[in-house]
Amino acid sequence: MTRMIARFRDGSSFDLTLVALALAYLFVFAALPMLYTVVMSVQKIDMFTLGTLARPFVGLRNYAHVLAMPVAWRVATNTAIFVVLSVVLQLVIGLVLAIYFRQDFPGASTLRGLFLAGWVMPALVVGAIWRWLLAGDFGVVNFLLGSLGLIKGHIFWISDPHVALYSLIIANVWLGIPFNMLLLSVGLAAIPADVYEAASLDGASAIQRFLFVTLPMMRATLGAVLSLSIIFTMQQYDLVAALTQGGPSNASNVAQYWSWQLSFETYDIAGGSVVAVVMILVVILVAILYVRSTRLEQQA
Amino acid sequence: MSRLKCLSAGLVCAVALGLTGAPRADAAHITLNVWTIDLESQYMFPLAKQFEALHPDITVHVKHVQFQDINNDLARASITGDVPDISYIDNPYIDLFGSRGLLLDLAPMIAQSKMIDLSKFYPGPLAAVKYGDKIYGIPRGANTLALYYNADKFKAAGLDPNKPPRTWAELYADAKTLTDPAKHVYGLAFSAVASEEGTFQFLPWIQMAGGDYNRLNTPNDVEALQFWQKLIDEKLASPDTLVRSQYDSTATFNAGDAAMAISGPWELPRMAKDAKFDYRVALLPTMTAGSAHVSALGEGDNVILAKSQHPKEAFELLEFLNSKMPSVWNDWGFLPVEQVTVDHPNWPADYALFLQALQTARVRGPSPHWADISQAIQTAVQAALTHQATAAQALATAQQSVDATVNQ
Repeated sequence: MTRMIARFRDGSSFDLTLVALALAYLFVFAALPMLYTVVMSVQKIDMFTLGTLARPFVGLRNYAHVLAMPVAWRVATNTAIFVVLSVVLQLVIGLVLAIYFRQDFPGASTLRGLFLAGWVMPALVVGAIWRWLLAGDFGVVNFLLGSLGLIKGHIFWISDPHVALYSLIIANVWLGIPFNMLLLSVGLAAIPADVYEAASLDGASAIQRFLFVTLPMMRATLGAVLSLSIIFTMQQYDLVAALTQGGPSNASNVAQYWSWQLSFETYDIAGGSVVAVVMILVVILVAILYVRSTRLEQQA
Repeated sequence: MSRLKCLSAGLVCAVALGLTGAPRADAAHITLNVWTIDLESQYMFPLAKQFEALHPDITVHVKHVQFQDINNDLARASITGDVPDISYIDNPYIDLFGSRGLLLDLAPMIAQSKMIDLSKFYPGPLAAVKYGDKIYGIPRGANTLALYYNADKFKAAGLDPNKPPRTWAELYADAKTLTDPAKHVYGLAFSAVASEEGTFQFLPWIQMAGGDYNRLNTPNDVEALQFWQKLIDEKLASPDTLVRSQYDSTATFNAGDAAMAISGPWELPRMAKDAKFDYRVALLPTMTAGSAHVSALGEGDNVILAKSQHPKEAFELLEFLNSKMPSVWNDWGFLPVEQVTVDHPNWPADYALFLQALQTARVRGPSPHWADISQAIQTAVQAALTHQATAAQALATAQQSVDATVNQ
């Protein structure tokens, strides 16, 4: 009996079992729902036919229908702005903070830890709090800006269609900075000190050290953080739901929220699936980048 | 051998039980499953307990479902067949379920009923459940919209607090007089939020202008939306009107930051506590002097699902609930949906006013595609108020969407 267990454990069957378990998990909890979404996106479907798979096949008609909606273009642009600005600002501010906390000053690591407080907050709560801060008539932000003499009158952060998307981005950047900072700190810590020492001895200035030592050696980390950040931003649904609900007049609507609206507000589940499938394609692209960059990291 | 003995003994035991009648009592005992949007202390929960006390052979199992989830949950339940016997459905969504045959037609049972008399029902609430000669539910109560105003602010601004605005022009003029940017006071608070609440608030204006959900783009309708535009553009109402719910908007009225507010009777308990001034209620202003007054019909209905195993007992519960109509105002803040005598109503003057408004309250729809229609209306309102489109363009687009939806 024990010999059988030992043979099982040492033999190739154990490896196969491990692979099979992981694959089974992925299949049930990731591949199946994803495939089901793809299937729903090419069927005629409403919430009363959810229970059966045998629904009329309509090919790409749902895609044509969704992409022809007047709001589709707006949502696509908003999503692009939301993702690009959020990710770039999170990365830049996160990197600055990571370098800042790498300086040796009293309490540096404790303070860095405290920065994580923002990250552990649920996005729904963050959204609700920013909604108060950014309220047009009686918000704290307007009051502060007004007291400092920076603005006259009020900025309607949530209800002004020219501003709402940027309010969303501000809140999302705030939420994402700690995560970026932490991962980048790890990357910074992995750079051997003697490289900097050698660079200094060669007469490299601080800026040169950053450009020609830090950045190249962080390439893999930056790639990983960037792709994870893009994925997190694209799935940032709760914050939108709590802060602007995509409004006013879709001015801050982004794909992930629109997909939910289609599926669960107007029961256009096929339409919601179409948006989800398009997003999956984008995320897969980003995931490929991520896998590639982690591979580079291992080689480095 | 011993095993066989045990088995046969068990069999004998089971048969004996069957004969003594204990299981038969179980068979006669009925459990009604009820879904409602109420919290534990509200309406359905305590009333179901009272009903159980009167009917020892019936257990009522009440489940709370979030208002925004109930349509989805009911639809999913009807796929799996695991539906409740009774559920709450919001007025405009009765048709969604009724048109698919998922609701029991109550008309035959009502005809036999000694407790429910449809001729006593007000036209608005009745229209919410009546489809041809079919009745798909019993309205459990109603609410509607009216204009709250701060009489103290009227006096301070030199307006007569006994003469609230009666036309749109008067509303505009009064709002303008009452607006005081220096003190951060807006003339009017209402809600144009992109949700069913926004539709609920806007539709009466379209209806007063002569239109409806399926007739949105007449010149009069455009004027209604332009009127809302003017209120926001001239900052007589806060730009946050676009993102605030009715409850949040009225909070600014209670705090003295708006001189008038459009909302419903559900605000009265909170207002009695929060509003430290003389507040009063008036009917919604009409488009012109003497033109039709229309208000919105809110609250929902209790329906029996077509797949219910116990329609008779479920209907008894509906009859019981309906018999509580004289106390729904004082107990739960609903307006009664039929002519009943209400003894000592809370806030008698406001009650009388809201009851008057209810007489011309119209149901949203009906249409089995209400969700799409409502969204088209919200989109038009938001597009016009943010000037992404003119009022005429926005309503023309909405009309197209509604036509496409209704004809699909």
